Amino acid sequence: MSTTEWRREDRLPHIYCSGCGNGTVINCTLAAVDEMGWKREETVFLSGIGCSSRAPGYINTDSLHTTHGRALAFATGVKLARPDLHVVVFTGDGDLAAIGGNHFIHACRRNLDVTVVCMNNQIYGMTGGQGSPTTPPGAISTTTPYGSSEPAFDLTELAIAAGANYVARWTSYHVKELTKAIVEGLQTPGLAFIEVRTQCPTNYGRSNKMREVSDMIEYLRSHAMLVPKYNRLIAEGKPIPEGTFTVGELIRRNRPAMGVRP
Amino acid sequence: MKLVIDEIRCKGCNLCVLVCPYRIFQEGTELNDRGIVTPVLDRPERCTNCRLQPLYGRLLCGVCQMICPDQAITWVDERPFEPHKVEVEF
Amino acid sequence: MSRTEFMQGNVACAEGALAAGCRFFGGYPITPSTEIAETMARRLPKAGGVFISMEDELGSIAAVIGAAWTGARAMTATSGPGFSLMMENIGYAAMTETPCVIVNVQRGGPSTGQPTRAAQGDMLQCRFGSHGDYSTIALAPNSVQEMFDLTVKAFNLADRFRVPTFLMADEIIGHMRERITIPDRVEITRPAPLLEGKLPFEAGDDRVPGFAPFGSGRAIHVTGLTHDERGYPDTTDPEAHERLVRRLVAKVESARREIADYEVVNPDAGMVFVTYGAPSRTVQQVIHDHPDEEIGHLRLRAVWPFPEFALDEFPDATVFLMPEMNMGQISREVERHVGQPVVPIPKLGGDLHTPAELLRAMEAYR
Repeated sequence: MSTTEWRREDRLPHIYCSGCGNGTVINCTLAAVDEMGWKREETVFLSGIGCSSRAPGYINTDSLHTTHGRALAFATGVKLARPDLHVVVFTGDGDLAAIGGNHFIHACRRNLDVTVVCMNNQIYGMTGGQGSPTTPPGAISTTTPYGSSEPAFDLTELAIAAGANYVARWTSYHVKELTKAIVEGLQTPGLAFIEVRTQCPTNYGRSNKMREVSDMIEYLRSHAMLVPKYNRLIAEGKPIPEGTFTVGELIRRNRPAMGVRP
Repeated sequence: MKLVIDEIRCKGCNLCVLVCPYRIFQEGTELNDRGIVTPVLDRPERCTNCRLQPLYGRLLCGVCQMICPDQAITWVDERPFEPHKVEVEF
Repeated sequence: MSRTEFMQGNVACAEGALAAGCRFFGGYPITPSTEIAETMARRLPKAGGVFISMEDELGSIAAVIGAAWTGARAMTATSGPGFSLMMENIGYAAMTETPCVIVNVQRGGPSTGQPTRAAQGDMLQCRFGSHGDYSTIALAPNSVQEMFDLTVKAFNLADRFRVPTFLMADEIIGHMRERITIPDRVEITRPAPLLEGKLPFEAGDDRVPGFAPFGSGRAIHVTGLTHDERGYPDTTDPEAHERLVRRLVAKVESARREIADYEVVNPDAGMVFVTYGAPSRTVQQVIHDHPDEEIGHLRLRAVWPFPEFALDEFPDATVFLMPEMNMGQISREVERHVGQPVVPIPKLGGDLHTPAELLRAMEAYR
C-alpha cells in the first residue's frame, strides 16, 4: 500500500491555507500508519474541532470528527469497546490544551492505547487567529493585540506529567524524523503523544513578522534543538537561546495501559 | 519515473522549493488557471527518485512529496524507462 | 423462568440495560443516579462489557457515542447538572444519528438545586436542550418495573431510529424499592444494517439510514458538521442543511404513532388527568380511592415525540389537569393541541403531589 490508498482522493484539495503545515502532518501520519502495515478497516481516526481536526475527513478509513476538545473522550469509548481497532487522534493546540485539557490529562493518566498527533500552530487558526494556551508570551494575535501576556503551555511536559507512555516533539519541517516518531508512537502500547510544531502562515506568521511560509519554516528549523544537545547545554550551564524548544523523543516508559489490542 | 506537480492541488506555498536538495523546484512566475503560481521544475531528471527508483525498487529521498501540504507531488511511470545521463551538481 | 425480586428503581434500570445487551457504560457519579453506575460497574465486566468512570459528563456521553459507533449498545446515567453538561454531545449524537441511551434521574433544579429530591424539571431540556433543530425520544417510567421495561425499550427505539433516547426518571422512581419481575429474555431490535451500494447517510422511506459500525470496512466519515449523504461536510449549501435537518426531525416526528406508549383510564370522563412519571401514581391513588368514571387519566410512558392523538382518546373531556413536578413544562405542549382548558398543577420542592391536593384541584373545576 502507499499513502495514496489511505487518502480520500475525492476530497482533495483540502481546505487548508497555502503553506499550512497540517497537510504535511497528514502525510507523515499516513506514511507511519502505512509502514505499520495496518489494515484500513481496522483503523479509526478521530479528531475534535479546528483546522487540525479536519484531517480525518481526508483519510479513507472510519473517522469520527467530534465536538471541540472531546476527541480523546470519544476515543476512550471507541478503544475500550473495540480494543482490536487501531485508534489515532488528530488534535490541535486549542482543541487539546484549552477546551480539551481535562480529557487530555485523563487519557494520559489512563494511558489509553491511542496515538495522539497534536498539530500545534500556537493559535486558533480556524476562527481567524486568536490567542491559544500555547501562544508564546509577546506573540500578536487578534485577541492579544498588544502581545500575549500569559505563559504558554508545554504540551509534552503536560503529557509526561499526566502519565503518557511515549512523548515526542518534532516540527512539520522535520518530516522524516516526525514520521519515525509517529511509527514509534503507533508501536508503543499506551498513550503516545506526538506534538508537531506547525506553521500557520496565514494567522500566526502574518502578525508575527513571518510573512512568508519560508520564514516560518526557518523559525521552526532554527529554534528546534535536539534533546541531547539541550541536556548538554543545561549540564554545562550554558544559556539556552530564547524561543528554543526541544525536539526528539522526550519519554518512553512502560506504565500499564488501557484498551491494548488483544 | 517522472516528477509531476498536480496543478489542481498545488496551492503555491513553495515548500518544495525550500527542501529539494537538488533545487529542482523553482519558484514560478506565472499564474495558472486557478490563479496560483505553482513552482516550475528545473531539469527534473536530476531527481534521485526519477533516476534510481526503478533500480532500487523503493522511494528514495521523497522529502518534497512528504512536506507538500497539498499532496500535489507524485512520480509517475515513464514507459519505456530509459536511464538518463545527468550531471549532478553539489 | 422469569424471576421476581424486590429492587430499587436505579438498580432495575441497570438490570434492564444489561438484559437489553448494553455492553458499554460511561458515567460520572451524581446523586440521585449513582446506583445505576454502581450496578453497572459491578455487573458489566462479568457480562463481557466495559464500565468506565469518565472525568466528567462531557466525557461520559462522548465515550458512549464513541462506543456506540463501534456497534456496542451504550448508555450513560446522570441527573440535572450532568445532563446540562451533556447537551453539547447530545446535539452531536442527534446530528450524527448515533443510537445511545441517556438516563436522567431528575432532581430539583436549576443549578445544583436539590440533589436528593425529585423533580421533572428537565422535560423540555431533553427535547430542546442542545442548539439547533432536532428531535429526540423520551420515555418516563412510573415504577421500578418500568425502570426495567422502559430501559429495554429505550435501547430498541434508539437503535430503530438512530437517535439519542432518554429515560426521564426522577429521584422518587430511582430510589423507590418495589416488586419487579425480570423476564428471561427481552425483545431486542438492532439497527438496520447499511446495505451495499447505499451511502452511509442515505435514508429510505422511513428516513433512517442503515448503520455500519466502525470496523465493518465501509470507511465512514462521521461529523457533526452539516454533511451530505456520503457523510462529507457540506457546510455552505443551504439545501444540504435543510435536507439533513428536516430529515433528522421528521424521522422521529413522523413515527409518533409507532413510538407512542400511553395508558388510558376512563375514556368517557370529563375531567382528565394527563401525567407522566411519578405524579401518575398520585392520580392512580385518587382513582383507586374515588372510583368515579368522571375522572379520566392519560398516562404517557413516551413523552417525546409528543403523542397529541392520545388526547383524542377523551372525546368528552372538559378540562385537562396536569400534575407535574415542574412549573408546567408539558402542560404547554398539551395546550397547543386541545381547545379545552389545560390546568397545570405544579409541585416543586421534591415532594409528590398528595391525593388531597389533586382532589382540591378537581373541586375547583367540577
